[in-house]
Amino acid sequence: MTAKLAVNECTKTFGATVALAPTTLAIEPGEFVSLVGPSGCGKSTLFNVVSGLLRPDNGRVEIDGVDVTGHSGHVGYMLQKDLLIPWRSVVDNITLGAALTRGVTKADRSQAVDFARRYGLGDFLDHYPHALSGGMRQRVALMRTLATNHDLLLLDEPFGALDSQTRLEMQQWLLEVWSETQRTVLFVTHDVDESIFLSDRILVMSPRPGRIVSELVVNLPRPRTLQQMTEPDFIAVKRQILDLLHGTVTV
Amino acid sequence: MNWRTPARVVLIPVVSILLVFLVWDLIIRIFNVEPFVAPSPGEALGALRDNWSTLWPLAIETIRETTYGFVLGAVLGFVLAVAMAQTRIVQGLVYPVLISSQAVPIIAIAAPLVILLGFGIWPKIVIVAWIVFFPVAVSVLDGLANVDEDLLKLAHVMGGTRSRVFLKIRLPATVSPLYSGLKIGATYAVTGAIIGELVASTGDSLAGFQRNANSSLDTPAVWGTTILMTAIGIGWFLLVMTFERLTTPWRTRNTVRRLPFSRRTD
Repeated sequence: MTAKLAVNECTKTFGATVALAPTTLAIEPGEFVSLVGPSGCGKSTLFNVVSGLLRPDNGRVEIDGVDVTGHSGHVGYMLQKDLLIPWRSVVDNITLGAALTRGVTKADRSQAVDFARRYGLGDFLDHYPHALSGGMRQRVALMRTLATNHDLLLLDEPFGALDSQTRLEMQQWLLEVWSETQRTVLFVTHDVDESIFLSDRILVMSPRPGRIVSELVVNLPRPRTLQQMTEPDFIAVKRQILDLLHGTVTV
Repeated sequence: MNWRTPARVVLIPVVSILLVFLVWDLIIRIFNVEPFVAPSPGEALGALRDNWSTLWPLAIETIRETTYGFVLGAVLGFVLAVAMAQTRIVQGLVYPVLISSQAVPIIAIAAPLVILLGFGIWPKIVIVAWIVFFPVAVSVLDGLANVDEDLLKLAHVMGGTRSRVFLKIRLPATVSPLYSGLKIGATYAVTGAIIGELVASTGDSLAGFQRNANSSLDTPAVWGTTILMTAIGIGWFLLVMTFERLTTPWRTRNTVRRLPFSRRTD
């Protein structure tokens, strides 16, 4: 089976700074993979290379075996900032991808309404973003990402700006959405608990030069529950990651 | 009671204007000023009423001048800003001209414009447009430049085309700043028209009427005419503000306005 995403020996330098040393990774269809690491470890660079915002100096990016190096429009993309458009309603924000590429069809709108209803936004279809809470706004942003109908979702610290209570809710909600919609997720976070709770696999990155230093498989059963977060298996994985991060930080 | 309720939106400005009249009236009374030096608000409004049949057609003419000039200036300013935002070269070339145009004392350029365009409505329209286009151009340019970089990145990752990103993100982002520019322009537009009338007109204009009243020491009529001119400016401002409220519902409402004939979400 071809990997959903394959990054092959990609590098990126900015002037004298090596933002990304030769990096290779593969993600299987339906997998949930997290990238963790301190700031400046090349997470964002890797992300921008995969999304097509940046063309790597060397190497290839393949999605479903097709070379998309330096080309955008092949992934769903979501940031910590919700980037909702203030003059568009919730539904119109969800259909933004269609509006920017080919024009919104009736099918796009009904799909957007469908997503919104199914994932807790049913009462807010006609709301403007300013009338929603931070958590709700991130839900809309994720729906907008799903509605682009790309199998691969790149989520860059999507819950980073939320309070911890809301963040826990959103993590469980994301797992629900992910398992129902069968998408593949590459998730960036510096919250170790979050990465363990969500992921099948965790890639630990380190800076100067930015690279992947380690890979951990999270063998916790699904569906995940909050109780798991305090069980020995979870703590063991957490200790491993903290060791790796700590080791790399003090180099 | 909510701050934005219509009663307050109307009531508070009316009260504040009345207060200005009250202070004005008190000053005239306390210092016992003669009407030919400076009239009380009552005397000014009285002169306005007495001359209404002459003044109203003249006011209509001034309103026509400001309307054409305002629309011309707004369209010009908007188009210029959009063109400037496309390339740095255009922006670099046009911006100095834009600034210089506003450094020209408008009163100095008025007389040459009359020589160029005659005594009709055109010099007034050009002066109004000259004044209005600048705040519109500057604020629209700001709006276009201040679109969130991350939003543009997101649009790029989504595979958005240049023209669609412009139509769906950049252009709508200019609406709010456009209204800021229009509101500034609206209050200045009448000034432009009056300068044009002052320089170009024979007797039959608001400015001409006022000049005649001034020479005959009919000071209450001078002040009354000023009140009328001011009212036209305020009218413009209110019109722009009303348009703003109607066309930017996301700033005052929580949900999309559903009209009986508009498409439904589901």
